[in-house]
This record gives sequence, C-alpha cells and structure tokens, in this order.
Amino acid sequence: MVTADRLDELQMEPEAPELDLSWLNLDTEWGVVSEPGRKGLTLQQINKSIYGEIPATSEDSSARPRGAAAPEGATPRMTPWVLGDATETFSDSAALLYDEAVSRQWSSATDIPWDTLDELPEDIERAMVQLCTSLTEVEFIAGDVPGKWLPRIAADHYESGLFLMSQVMDEARHTDVFRKRALANGGGLLLQGGGGGLRQILEAEDFTQMSSMLHILGEGFVQSLFRLGELIAHNEAEKRIFRLAAQDESRHVAYGVTHLKYTLEHEPEKAEEVHWTLDMFEDTLVDPDQANPGLAGALVYLLGDGDVDEGWRLFWHVRRKQVLEYLHRLDVAGLGGRLETGRLHPALAGALDEN
Amino acid sequence: MPDNDVIAAAKERLEQSGLPSTWLDIPVHWGVKAKEQATAENGGLRFQMLNVDVYGEVPEFWDNNTEIPRGAVPDTRTEQMGYSIFNKAEVWSDLCAELYEDAIADRWNSSSDVPWDSLEPIGADLERAVCQIATMMSEYGWTKAQTTGRWLQEISYGYIEVKLFLGTVVFDAARLFEVWRKRALANGGGLGRGGRNWKFLPLTQSYTFSEFCVASIMHDSMLLALLRRGEQLAQTEAERSIYRLCERDIERHLTYFVDHMRYLMLKEPVRREEIHRYMNKAEWYLAKDGDDTLYSAVAVIMGDGREGAQEAMADVAELRQEQIETYLGYLRQCHLADREDRLNLELRKWAGMVEPEAEEKIPV
Ligand SMILES: [Fe+2]
Ligand SMILES: [Fe+2]
Repeated sequence: MVTADRLDELQMEPEAPELDLSWLNLDTEWGVVSEPGRKGLTLQQINKSIYGEIPATSEDSSARPRGAAAPEGATPRMTPWVLGDATETFSDSAALLYDEAVSRQWSSATDIPWDTLDELPEDIERAMVQLCTSLTEVEFIAGDVPGKWLPRIAADHYESGLFLMSQVMDEARHTDVFRKRALANGGGLLLQGGGGGLRQILEAEDFTQMSSMLHILGEGFVQSLFRLGELIAHNEAEKRIFRLAAQDESRHVAYGVTHLKYTLEHEPEKAEEVHWTLDMFEDTLVDPDQANPGLAGALVYLLGDGDVDEGWRLFWHVRRKQVLEYLHRLDVAGLGGRLETGRLHPALAGALDEN
Repeated sequence: MPDNDVIAAAKERLEQSGLPSTWLDIPVHWGVKAKEQATAENGGLRFQMLNVDVYGEVPEFWDNNTEIPRGAVPDTRTEQMGYSIFNKAEVWSDLCAELYEDAIADRWNSSSDVPWDSLEPIGADLERAVCQIATMMSEYGWTKAQTTGRWLQEISYGYIEVKLFLGTVVFDAARLFEVWRKRALANGGGLGRGGRNWKFLPLTQSYTFSEFCVASIMHDSMLLALLRRGEQLAQTEAERSIYRLCERDIERHLTYFVDHMRYLMLKEPVRREEIHRYMNKAEWYLAKDGDDTLYSAVAVIMGDGREGAQEAMADVAELRQEQIETYLGYLRQCHLADREDRLNLELRKWAGMVEPEAEEKIPV
C-alpha cells in the first residue's frame, strides 16, 4: 500500500505533447466569412467556396470533414464501406431540412396540452390506444432504419448524414409520444402489429430502395393520415400530436422525394429498380394477410366516431388522399406514370375511384 | 371499470362490417391518468410518469425479436427484426428515461442560440488554431453520431428508454459536428487538417454495446475536460457559448454511459477483465494517435500565437492531465477504480502518474 501523501510526493510533472505547427501552413481554402441571416447562421450560409462543393463521388471512408486537409501519415478505414456516389444518398434539400429540423424540435412532455385529455367513452379510448400501439411500433422501426445507414454515409456528403441524425431524433419523439398517448388516459397498449412492410424497410440493402419505401410511400401515407388528424382526434392534445408529428413527417418525405429526384436526374436508369421496389412494397402494404388486425379496425372506428359505415366512408377519403399525394410525390421526384401505365397496385388505384 | 355493453356493441358493429375486432378483447390496464400527473411545474408529462404497471416492468431478458411495444400483446405472425440485444445488463441505466427528457428540455439550435454576431477578427494564428480545433471537434461529432446510431438496430423494444436516449445522443452529436464546422467557416478562416483518428477505431469496431460504452467514456471524458477549458480557450462570446452548450450535452452522455457501466459491473462482475481489455485497446489507440495537432493548436491559443506556443505547452500538459483524471474519475464512479493501476503507460505520463513498477518499490 502506498499512502496518499507518499504518492503526491512522487507525482511527476505531466509530460507535454510535442509541439507541431505544420498545420499553421496548410493550403486549405482560407478567408471564408459567413454572416448570420434572419434565421441565424444556417448550414446554407456556410455552404460556400470549396466547402459547399458536393463531390459526385467520395473515396473517403474516414470522418474527415469536407474541405479539411488530409492528415499526415497512415490513416485507418473507419467503416468497411461507405456509399461514395452522391446519387446513393444525396439530396439537395438535406441541409435545409436539417436546419428546419433543429429549429422545429418539440417536446412530448411540454408541448402537448395533456390536460385536455378528458375521459373518453370506453370504445373510443380503446380504439385510440390501439391506433397508438400500432403507431409507436411503426415509429420505432422508422428510427432504427436511419441509425442503420448512418455509418455508411460519406463525410463528404454530410448533409444527408445530418438529416438522418435529425430523423433518428424525430422518430424517437414519435415513438415516445404515441406510447405516452396510449398510456396517458386510462387505457394501455393493445395488440401489436405495425402492419406489413416494416421488415422490408429495415432489411433493404440499397439506400435508395430503402428511402423510396420509408420516406416516400411509408412516411408519405403516415403524413397524409396525420394531416387529417382532426378527423381522428378527440381533444386538443391529440390534435397537437398529429399536427406536430405531421410537420416532422413532411421533412422526412421531402428528403425522400428530393433524394430520389437527385438520383434519377443523375442515374435515370435506376428508375426501373425503384419501380420494382414500389411494386413489392405496395403489394405488401395492401396484402390482407400482412395487415394488422388492430390498425384498420381502430382507424375506421375512430374516423366514424363509433359509426363504422361513416368510418369506412372517411377511410376511403383518407386512402384516396394518401394515394393522390403519393403519386404527386413520385411525379415531383421524376418517377411519374405509375397510375397511367397500370403499374400502381389495383387496390391503391381503386381508392381513386370516387365510388 | 370497463363498460361491457359498449364494447360488445362496438364488436358487433365492426364484425358486421368485416373488420377484425379481436383488439377489443384485450384486457387493458386501466387507471393511469396523465391529467392528474403532468403539470408545468414538474416538467410536463415525462416518460417516467407512465412507466407503471406492466408497461414499466423492464425484464432482465426480453424474449421478443419484433418491434412490439413493451406491454402490448404479441401478434405471433410478425417477422423477426434482427435485434441482438435482449439482456438488460448490457444496456440499462435507471436514468435513461429522465436523461431523454432532459436532453429534449436542453435542446439548442446552433443557428440561433450562438451569438455569431460576437465573432471578430482574432489574428491569423489564433484563427488557424481555433479552426484546427473546430475541425477535430467536427470529426468526433460525426464519428459519435455514426457509431451511436448503429446500435439502434441492435437494441430491442424491451429497453425502449435506452433507445430514446441514444436518439438524443445521435442528435447532440450532429450538433457537435455542425456547430464547429460553422465556427470554422464563419470568421475568415476555413477548415484545418483532419486527424489520423486511429483512436476512433474502438468506437467503430466494438462488438458489444458495453465495449462501445467504455470507449465512449474515454473519448467523452477527454472532450469534456477540453470543453471545460472553454473560458480560457474561447476568443469570443460565440465560442464561449459553443463550449458551454457542448459541455452540457457531453456531461449528459457521460451520466448515462457511467451509470450503465456501474449497472453492468454490479450485475455481471465477471465481465470486469473483459471490460479492461476494451479499455486497454481504447487507451492504446489514443496514446498512439497522440493528437499532437490538437494539442499544438490549443498551445497556440494558450500562448496567444505561435511565438508563445512552446511556453504554453506546460499549460497544455496540465490540460492533458485533467483529461486523464476526468476519465479515471468517471471510471471510479462505475466501480472501475482499479483502472488507475492499469492505465496505459503512455497515458500515465500524460497524467504525471508514477509508473506502476516505481509505485511497487515505494516503502510503506
Ligand atoms: Fe415518425
Ligand atoms: Fe418519419
């Protein structure tokens, strides 16, 4: 045993690092000035000179920020592989969407007027907690997926990385807020079943395929539904949940649409691959065998406020809107024509029929 | 009490319409009312308040490989989702739910919460030095977000609180990346030189989550001690606030990592030697990397320019000592005080610690 006093006596001077000033003479781009604008100093404002130039391909699998000088000496590969082609992951809107995500964060604890949750009739409460059970499940996977892809994003395409990091945060909040709603008003979590398609999103090994399923079709449908949240909500708390979540989902959908647009502009031959993915995913979404027995019933029940016929009528109203918005998003992304060519799944095309 | 007539009538209406109604048969755990609990004074409706009954029972082993919410009734047709962590000891901390809510309450925006207007010309050497530090901060932010994010697909819903908290870590790390990039590109400078970053391999290569956690404790401790020197290093109010805001985030992350490791050491003491091996590895890479570029940039700031840098190296040595002491201090909190005797020899020199052999020779 060494006494503390004795140790103190023997304590050495801490060793100083070697002074190396070679980094004072780098030839990285210098003299960059960025002024804060109306929204402060956003990513858009610092994306200038060579720092704003997005390389079409990146060989760099390290964490070196875009525009920084390479280190001296040997460096390790940080991940087994990154998606080096910008067409794999990039979106021209990613920086803007990240900025927006940061400024529009909300808290499920304090931004929802939970005190407006009055006791609901038991059938309605059960339908609501069933819907929320399914939603917390869907949101859970929606957070795992961007997490999985993060190590594969090239640091040179950091805007997409940042966007996905903000999505991880958004989906954590969604997982949480729907769980909270399920548990907050005397009900509880009911039957599992996020519906078909979750596994397909998670298992995809191509980013653009994943994104067209998650961001465009999956979250697109969710966003269209949330925007009609007024039809489902029974109090201010629920209305606010759907409104705030819809705002977040809009960013996720926008990323998917702008990423696909970027990809198809640079690699139009990828269109057929995405069509194929959507063929599969649409089929999964409407497959009755994959359907969650709770979700559809609870949704119809809530839409009709207990009147099932009225619920069905509104369900088809929602579905029609989902499909129209989906087709519009594909148009914007440069993948139009699924309806006209008969490629859209008949069950979805049928929803467009007014009758 | 459930109103059976209302439910029976609802079931009938659904069935007549061809809709499944089995979800109405599921017993619900009635009773928790948010309304009575959440008030502005107690921080609103926090996750922990609803962690009651079966919903709050966190099992030692979670046996479901789907995304089923904890407390819901399984649908056995659901495909497995590829999670790999079903052991509470591997990820748990009792603080997760609260830290998750804290992170959200503490959220900040690098665009508008940093007084960028306070930036002013600070001289060529200092600007280079600040930008060099900023470059390396960005690199760590990027690595931290990537390596934390990849664990999400491994952890099952049984430990939902952990995943929610890790989501905030990913987002905080994104901000660590971008706020420093902004600083580098705002004041007439640019980016500096990237690090060799062998030291990050223990984060990217970890096979178990707890391995990732101890490597994170080391890196976050080193960073935290540096951030705590913000008052001395910051040249403007903008930087001062960046240091402060990042410091609060990293402290929160460390609170989790440390509390988790404490939990693991209590639950699975047999893993102590294994964990030491991970620390051997993490420390070896850190020592080998050396980070001379980072510390030299710190020296230029502390010495107020390149001329004073050599003299400032004594100050830098003190900072490095603080970093190692911070790391060892956090390890003491998680029942890993024995690390002190096993610390990497090179890092002992950084900390000015007596070499273990010399220590043995001291007469008692
Ligand atoms: Fe979501
Ligand atoms: Fe989303």
